[in-house]
Amino acid sequence: MKSTQLGEFEELVLLIIGALGDDAYSISIKNEFKTKTGRNPSIGALHSAFNRLEKKGFLKSEEGGATSERGGRRKRYYTLTAFGRKALDYAYELRSSLYQTLPNINLANE
Amino acid sequence: MSRRVDKPPKWLDRLFGWLCRSEELEVLRGDLYELYAERLAQKGRAWANFFYFFEVFDLLRPFALKRTRNTTQVNMFKTYLMVAYRNVINQKVFSFINISGLAIGLTCFVLIALFIQDELSYDKFHENSNRIYRLVENFESEGVGEHSASLPFPTGPTLAGEYPAEVKQQVRFFNFQSPTVALAYKEANKAFNESRFFFADSSFLSMFDYALVQGNPRTALDNPNALLITESMAQKYFGDEDPMGKILEFQGQQPLQVTGVLADAPLNAHFQFDFIASFSSLKYWYGGTLPRTWYWNPCWTYVLLEHETDATAFEAKLPDFVNKYFPDFIREDVTMELQPLEDIHLHSKLDYEIAANSNINNIYIFGAIAVFVLFIAAVNFINLSTAKAAKRGKEVGVRKSLGSKKSQLITQFIFESVLFTFIAIVVALGLVALLLPAFNNLIGKSIAFGTLFQPQFIIGGIAIGLIVGLLSGIYPAFILSNVRTVSVLKGERLKARGVQFRKVLVTAQFAISMFLIVGTVVAISQSKLLLNEDPGFESENVLLVPVIRSGMGQHYEGFRNRALQSPYIKSVTAVEEVIGEKHQVNNYQYEGMDRSKPFPRFFVRHDFTETMGIKLVAGRDYDREFVTDDTLAHVVNEAMVKAMGWGSPQEAIGKKFYHRNELMGKVVGVVEDYNFISKHHNIGPIVIDLNTMPGAFNLFIKYMAVRVDGENLQQSISDLDKAWASVLPDRPFDFFFLDDRLKHVYAAEQTLGTITVIFSVLAIIVACLGVFGLVTFSVERRTKELGIRKVLGIGNAQIIGLVSKEFLLLILLAFLISIPASYFLIEAWLTGFAYRVDLQVWPFVFAGAVTLIICMSTVLFHTRKVAKINPAVTLKYE
Repeated sequence: MKSTQLGEFEELVLLIIGALGDDAYSISIKNEFKTKTGRNPSIGALHSAFNRLEKKGFLKSEEGGATSERGGRRKRYYTLTAFGRKALDYAYELRSSLYQTLPNINLANE
Repeated sequence: MSRRVDKPPKWLDRLFGWLCRSEELEVLRGDLYELYAERLAQKGRAWANFFYFFEVFDLLRPFALKRTRNTTQVNMFKTYLMVAYRNVINQKVFSFINISGLAIGLTCFVLIALFIQDELSYDKFHENSNRIYRLVENFESEGVGEHSASLPFPTGPTLAGEYPAEVKQQVRFFNFQSPTVALAYKEANKAFNESRFFFADSSFLSMFDYALVQGNPRTALDNPNALLITESMAQKYFGDEDPMGKILEFQGQQPLQVTGVLADAPLNAHFQFDFIASFSSLKYWYGGTLPRTWYWNPCWTYVLLEHETDATAFEAKLPDFVNKYFPDFIREDVTMELQPLEDIHLHSKLDYEIAANSNINNIYIFGAIAVFVLFIAAVNFINLSTAKAAKRGKEVGVRKSLGSKKSQLITQFIFESVLFTFIAIVVALGLVALLLPAFNNLIGKSIAFGTLFQPQFIIGGIAIGLIVGLLSGIYPAFILSNVRTVSVLKGERLKARGVQFRKVLVTAQFAISMFLIVGTVVAISQSKLLLNEDPGFESENVLLVPVIRSGMGQHYEGFRNRALQSPYIKSVTAVEEVIGEKHQVNNYQYEGMDRSKPFPRFFVRHDFTETMGIKLVAGRDYDREFVTDDTLAHVVNEAMVKAMGWGSPQEAIGKKFYHRNELMGKVVGVVEDYNFISKHHNIGPIVIDLNTMPGAFNLFIKYMAVRVDGENLQQSISDLDKAWASVLPDRPFDFFFLDDRLKHVYAAEQTLGTITVIFSVLAIIVACLGVFGLVTFSVERRTKELGIRKVLGIGNAQIIGLVSKEFLLLILLAFLISIPASYFLIEAWLTGFAYRVDLQVWPFVFAGAVTLIICMSTVLFHTRKVAKINPAVTLKYE
C-alpha cells in the first residue's frame, strides 16, 4: 500500500478530523491540534495539508452555511473518507506491530 | 466610534483577494477573519495586524495562488529570476556589499521615520484636537518675567462665560504645583507618593478622548471627592480587586472615591497622568471655594473653540479680557495667547510646562540624517549596479545573437535591480524588527513594529524600492541593450561610460559623510558643554526631598536639628523649585522704579547659599540672628545689579525695596550669577527671597535640599530617613539626587548626540562599502593596464598612487563643498542655544582626515592585492 504513506503531521491532522466528527473545519482543527499536541500549526500549513490529503482521497470536504462571526463567510467542513480511515488503520497497525517487537525492558524496577 | 473595529487592514485584505484562487478565497478569508477577531480581542490591534500580515503570506502557498494563464510570460519571468540568481552567485562579494549597504541605509531610514512619525502624532488622537487650545499667560516687563503655560484659577470659567459664542468648553488642570502628592489605600496599608496626580474640571472627559474603561463618562467627575485612576494604578493599589467605589486618602486627609477607571494615557500625549480628581474636590483645601486671585497662576487651562470660531480673531479679543479682569498692578505686563494643542509637544518651551517637551529642531535634524543616510545608501546601490553592469557586455552580446529582444534585455536589467532593492527592503524590515526594542530604549518610546503596516509606510517602501531599483537599473539597461553585438563578442571592451555621473554621486557621498562627522562632533561637544560647564552651584551630593503639603512646615526646624546631628549630613535648607530647573515670578519694586514689576523669584530657607555652594560677592547671606530678614531683606544676583544699573555689587547693598509704595527693606547681599534655569537661557536677574513662614510649605516651598557626605551616601540617606520618620512617621520618605534630575533637562540634546553618532557611523560604513565597491571595479577594469605598467617597471607605491589619485581628488572636492555648507547649518543650529560651543577648526579637519583615512585604507587594502599579482597572469589572455 505504497500510496497511503502518511507523514506525521498528516496523520495527526487526519486523526483530529476523525475525532472532531461533524465540527471539523480549519480553525477548530487548529485549536484541537494545539490543545492535544501543544504545537501551534499555521493556518497555511493546515490548509496545504488538507489540500494534499483531499487530493489523495483521504478527506472529503463540503461547504457549510454562512455565519456572522467570519464576516458572513462560509466554513469548509472536512470528513474522513473510508480510504482515509483505512490509511489510519494501516498506520496504526504498522506502528503497533513494530512497537511489539521492542525488547521488553522494565524501567519501573529501577 | 464609527471606525471599523474588527476588520483587518484593508490593503492586505485586497492583496489577498488579488492573489488568491477564487474557489479558495471565501473559506480562507473566513479563516483569516476569524483568527484576526480572536487575536484582536486577546492582544490588541497591533498584535493582530502583525500576525495577519504573516498569515496572509503564509496562506499564499501553491494550492491557493491564482493559476497564471500566460505561460510565455511566466517562463520569461522564471528566466529573469534564474539569471538574477546566477548573477548573485557569481559575484558574491559584490552582491553582498550592494544589498547590505542598501539594507543598512533603509534600516536607519525606517527607524528614524518611525521616530518622527511618533513625534508628529502627539495629541492628534483627540477627535477635536485641531480646535483645542491651551491658554498662555505672558507676564513680563522689559524682557524679565515669565511665559507661563498655566493661568490663574478663575481664567478658564470666566473666559468661557465671557465669550459663550466662541468657547465651547474649558478644562483646568491643577496639582498644587507640587512635584508629588501622597496617596494612601488605608485598607491594605499601601501608601505612595504620586507625581502624576491632577485635579481637572468635569469637562475633561468630553473635551479630550481619553477612554474610560469603567464608570460613567458623563457623571464621573461631577461630584467633589470623585477620583479617576488609570488601569495600571488600579493594579498598583488594588491588585485584582474591583477599584470602583474604593477610597484613597489624599495627603493624609481627604478621602477620594474611585468613580471611574481610565485606560493608561497614550504615550503620544504631552499630558501624562495617573490620577484625575474632580476639580470641586479642591474646595476642601480652600475653605469651601476655589481661589479667586488673578495673580497666582497655577492652572493649566485648555479651551475647546466652536467650529466656526477663528482662533486668530478670537485671540484679538484677549487683550480686552485681560484689561477687564486682571488686577491693576500687573495689567500692563500681562498678555494672553492661544497655543494649539497639537503644537505643544514640538513647539512649546514655556515656563511651568506639565512636563518637558520635545523640540521641532530635533525632528528636522533627524529627518535630514534619515534622508542623508538613505541618499548615501541609494547612491551606493546605483553606483555599484551600474559599475557591475558594465562587465556584462559579453553576456548581452551572446543573448542578442541568440535572438534576445531589446525590450527583454531592458526588462532583465530593471527586474534584477528592482529585485535586489526589494531583497534589501525585506532584510531592512528584519533588521528593524530586531533593533526596534533597543532603539525604543534609546529614545524612550514604545513604538510597535505593527506601526509599519500603515498605508504611508507601505506605499513609501514600495515607492523607494521602485525608484532606487529603476534608477540603478535603467542606466545599464539602456546602455547595454544598445551595444553592437559583433564588437562586444570580438572582445572589444565597453567604454567606461557614466564615469562622470558616478563621480558626482561619490563626491556627494563624501561631502555628506563629512558633514555628518562634523555635526556629530559638534552635537556631542555641545551636549557635554550643557552638562558639564559649571552652573555656578554644586549639584553633586545634594538630595532633594519633596515636602510640599507634607506637614513639614511645622516640623522643619526640628527635622533640621535632628538631621544635622548625623555626621554625614552637612547642611539643610528648603527651596521653592528644583535649583537649576525652575523658578517662580513675583512683583517687586526697587529704588528708582515707579511701580512694581515682575522678577524671577526663588523662595528659600536659611543656609541656601551654603548648601548649594553659591558664592556671595557682596554683603551677607540671610542670617538666623536677624529675625526681620524674612520681610526686610533681599539677596539678589549680579545680573540683577546689572539690570537695575546699581553699579557694583558693593553699591547694591542697602538699595531699598518697597511694597505698595511703602518702604519695606533693603538688599543685604549679592550672589554670583548661577544658572537658576537650564543653560538654554542666559542668566537673568533673580531675587532669592527668604520665606520662613511654616505655611509656605503648603504653597511655595516644594523641596528640602540636603547636602550629604558623598563618601557615605548610604549612611547619610538612612540618617535622613530616620530624621524624617521622627517628625512625619505617617508619610513615606522620598528623595532624588539633584544632579540626576538636572541631566534630564538636557535629555533632548543627549538623545540627539547619541542618535547622530549611531546613524552617522552607519552612514559612514555604508559610504565605505560604496568606496570599496568602486575601488574594486576601478582596479578590475585596469588590471591589464596595470599589468603592462608592471612589465615596464612600475613600483608598487606608484600603482597605489595611480589608483588613489582619482579618489583623492574626489575627497578634496567633497571637502571643499562640505565645509561651508556644514559651517552654516551647524552655526544656525548653535545660535538657538544661550550657552554654546564655538565652532572650531578641528572638527572640520577631523572629518576630512577620517574620511580620507577610511577611504585610503580601503583603496590600499584592495590595491595591494592587485599590485602583487604576477603580470603574466593578467596579460596571458590577450
